[in-house]
Parts: sequence; structure tokens; C-alpha cells
Amino acid sequence: MAVPMNFVAREAGSNLWRNRLMTVAAILTVAVSLSLVGAALFLRQGVSNATTEWQHGVSVIVWFHPSSSITEQRAVGDELAQLSYVKSCAYRTQTDNYNQGKKYLNGLLGSASSAVTPAVTPASDNCVLKNPDEAGAIAAAFRNQPGVRNVSYPSQAIHNMENVTRTVQLAFLIVALVLLASASALIVNTIRLAIFSRRKEVSVMKLVGATNWFIRIPFMLEGLVQGVAGAVVAGLVVLGLDWRLNAASAGHFTSTLYKMRLTGGEVVLIIVAVGIVGLLVGTLGSAFAIRRFLDT
Amino acid sequence: MITLENVTKVYKTGTVAVKDLTFEITKGEFVFIVGASGAGKSTLMSLILREELPDKGRIWVAGRDLARLPHWRVPYLRRNIGCVFQDFRLLSNKTVFENVAFALQVIGRPRHQIERQVPQVLELVGLGNKMRDLPEELSGGEQQRVAIARAFVNRPLILIADEPTGNLDPTTSKGIVQLLDRVNKTGTTVVVATHDASIVNTMRKRVLELDNGEVVRDQSRGVYDVELDDSSAQPVGARSKGRRGTVLR
Repeated sequence: MAVPMNFVAREAGSNLWRNRLMTVAAILTVAVSLSLVGAALFLRQGVSNATTEWQHGVSVIVWFHPSSSITEQRAVGDELAQLSYVKSCAYRTQTDNYNQGKKYLNGLLGSASSAVTPAVTPASDNCVLKNPDEAGAIAAAFRNQPGVRNVSYPSQAIHNMENVTRTVQLAFLIVALVLLASASALIVNTIRLAIFSRRKEVSVMKLVGATNWFIRIPFMLEGLVQGVAGAVVAGLVVLGLDWRLNAASAGHFTSTLYKMRLTGGEVVLIIVAVGIVGLLVGTLGSAFAIRRFLDT
Repeated sequence: MITLENVTKVYKTGTVAVKDLTFEITKGEFVFIVGASGAGKSTLMSLILREELPDKGRIWVAGRDLARLPHWRVPYLRRNIGCVFQDFRLLSNKTVFENVAFALQVIGRPRHQIERQVPQVLELVGLGNKMRDLPEELSGGEQQRVAIARAFVNRPLILIADEPTGNLDPTTSKGIVQLLDRVNKTGTTVVVATHDASIVNTMRKRVLELDNGEVVRDQSRGVYDVELDDSSAQPVGARSKGRRGTVLR
């Protein structure tokens, strides 16, 4: 027997309205948990994009002590130029690095900005490698050279960043899982209440020969609506994150945030993934409730 | 239409609800099932509706062996059986029309058919002018008429009624049973489980009496209590059919 959809939609709608407080609670919990899932996926994709971007850019930066002599700096520069796996190096003066730092920090230093002057900012040699994997070897060889303060290279930065984001992602996912479990429990409870409040109708439906699917579908739809509504809110949160990231990184072409920017396709993919999780949570929650509490 | 063969049902507590029941109700018959509380009348109704399965014996309803009927086919069986209960079981948030229409909606009948059949059946039960009323606005007798209309709107082969007059006064009860008789005259088999002696005695239909889960009397044109019936010494009915018209105790 074909299930008349207008009847099912009306029944599901009246159930949702009857238990509207529980429905709103379930939708909000699904929304918060799926937003965290979306944020975790967003962060993961952003870091992945930034990593790829870095690997194609500057490979090694040799930072000099502000007090180092020109002779020491030239000696290091000459030595770098002779290495076969170094493609090219660009020397940046203390003033260059001061100006760039100022631009990146963009007023974030506040009152501390008066203490930062070109004189205390290090000069650097920024090198591009033929093979970025050799960055570690250069760092080891030059770190203790006279006049060198530190050697930084993207793989180290990437490594650090990956560690941080892995921890953040894990935290997001754990919280999201806990919230998804509570969202499922809320969906189960909403369906249970709906089944209880309609037990008389269900008994009449059974007596007059409604099929099991006919009785179950409005409850299934109810769970589905809650899951999808939560997913829609979470999708909007992902869009909001994308908009915020684009706004914050606009014009800062060399900033980390800029490198993390996602393409439209990647954002859509995350929203679709969030939607699928929402569908699954809603469907499985209502299926469990029906199996457990609806005696058909 | 309904055949039971050595049917026994024992509940988990060890209570024997019905024991070795064997009888047949043919198409178009009107049968009263009588007996004291706990005699097994309600269990018998549940077995016919296939809400429960017997522990022993076999049941055929509308040509189907209930033991062999898969779970998913049970709703289709129930479309052939209309049910009426003592407590009416009407949906309080739906009007008279909607209550009756609900029985057709949930089995997927099209709207035009619902709009044609529901007024017809409500006219049949005498409630053509109360279609827009809510159940709470009706008397007990009227509510039971709505329940009968809902049970009959799908033109079932069988209509079973469990204590349909249990909550009604004698005059209203008589009207309800006369309505069931009219339903019966359309060809529907009617089975009524009741405690109400007056309606059984007035109607003089076939009576199956249960006692402790066993059939102790199967009498054509019977009465509620055989002791009060002058004709009981020589039960009327088709003795030639064996079980019919026989006082078994």
C-alpha cells in the first residue's frame, strides 16, 4: 500500500508541535554537536590547505642575532648559496622584518609595540629549497653558526601546527560525539513521548488494519526532521566560519589564515558531510525509539 | 468464516484462558459469546484478531490459517474484521466524521471514496446530522454508534464486538444491538461477547457459552442463561450439524 505523504506529513507535524519543547531541545543539541563536527572538518581542511601552500613556498629562514655583524651574516649567506639543494636565498634587513611583522601583528601588540623596534628585530636569510625535505639538515647545520639566532623551517611549523590542530580536532570530535549521543537520546525521548501521546491512535490504527510501516513512518519522519533541522543550523555555522575566515584573511596573502582558506567545493563537501551525519542521527534515533517503544 | 479447532491458550502465569475450543461460525451468522468474567471471552476475541497466537490448535479466519499468517500480513487480515469495544476507543480530538474517516485513511483509501462512504455509514447508524460533533458532545449510545460506523465503514467480512453495551443503559443497548443486527443483515458475520442477558434474550441468536475457557453450550436461537429457557431441555437449532444446538454441560 502506498503511504499517503500528506497524511504522514500532517501526523509528523502535529507530533512535533505537540512536543515542541523537546523538539527544539533535540534540534539545538543536534545543531551544536554537528557544528562542532563541521568546525573540526573545517579546521582539518584548512590546515591541510595551509600545509600544501607552505610546501610550495619558502622552505628555510635563518634568523640572525640583532647584534650579529655584517661579516657573520655574509659568511652564512655565502655558505647557503653554495649548497646544491638551495634554489635561492633572499636577504631581509632588520627594517624589512620589522615592517612585515608590524603589518602581520597589525596593532595586536598594543602598548608593547613601543618596545619592538627595528634595532631589536632580527635580519634573516629566506631560502627556497629544491627539496623541502632538506630543511631539517640546514637547520641542524646552521643553528650553531656564529651570528645565527635560530633557523625555522615550515615543516617544523607545519609539525607544530598539525600537533595543535590534531589536539583541537580530537577535543572537538570528543565533545561532538558526546553531544551527538545526547542529541540521539533527546530524539529517542521525543519520539517516545510522541508514541505515548498517540498510543490510542496507534491502537486504533492497528485495529483497522494500518500496516506497520504506515504507523511507523510519521515517527521516522519526525526524527528525520529533527536531525535535518539541526544539520541545517550546523551548515549555516560552517558557512559563517568560512565567511569569517575569508574576512579575517582578506589582503593578508602571506598569513596563515589566508593559506588556510577553503574553496567553495570544500565548504560544500563539509556541509554535505554534516547533513549526512544529521540524517543518520535523526533516522537511527527514531528507528531505535520505534523498535523499543512502538509495539506494532 | 471463523473456525477454531482444539484451540488452547495458556498465559505465562500458567492461567488457562481457553481450553480445547472447537467451533465454527459461518458466513453471515450472528453469534453471542456469553460467560462470566474470566471465562475466556476476551482471549477468544484476541485470538480471532490475531493479537495473540494459541499454544495449541488452529484458527481460520476469513479463509486464512492464523498460525501461518506472516506478521506483515496481519494488518490485511484486520481489514476484514471490524472491532467494537465497551470503551468506544474514539479519538477525542477528531470529529465524528474524522473518526470514521480515519479508519479509511490509514488503509490508504482515496479521498473521494472517504467522502462518499463516511456519510453513508453515518446515515446508516443514525448520526448523519452529527458528523461535525466531537465525541465528548455525544451520548454514550451515540459514541458507540460512531464506533460501529468506524468498524463497518470498510465493509468488513466480520464484525466483532467486545461488551458493546457494557457502558450503556438498557434502552440504548437495545438500539445498539438492533444496529448490529442491521449490519449483520448486510451479510457481515457478527460476533458479540457480552454479559448483557437482556439483549441476548431479546435477539434469540446463536449463543456460545464459555466457562473456565471451555465451550459449555452452543445453542441456536439461544438465551443468556439456559436454566431460564423453557426450550433448553430440547435445544432448538440444527442438531444435524452436531455442535449446533447442543447443551454440552
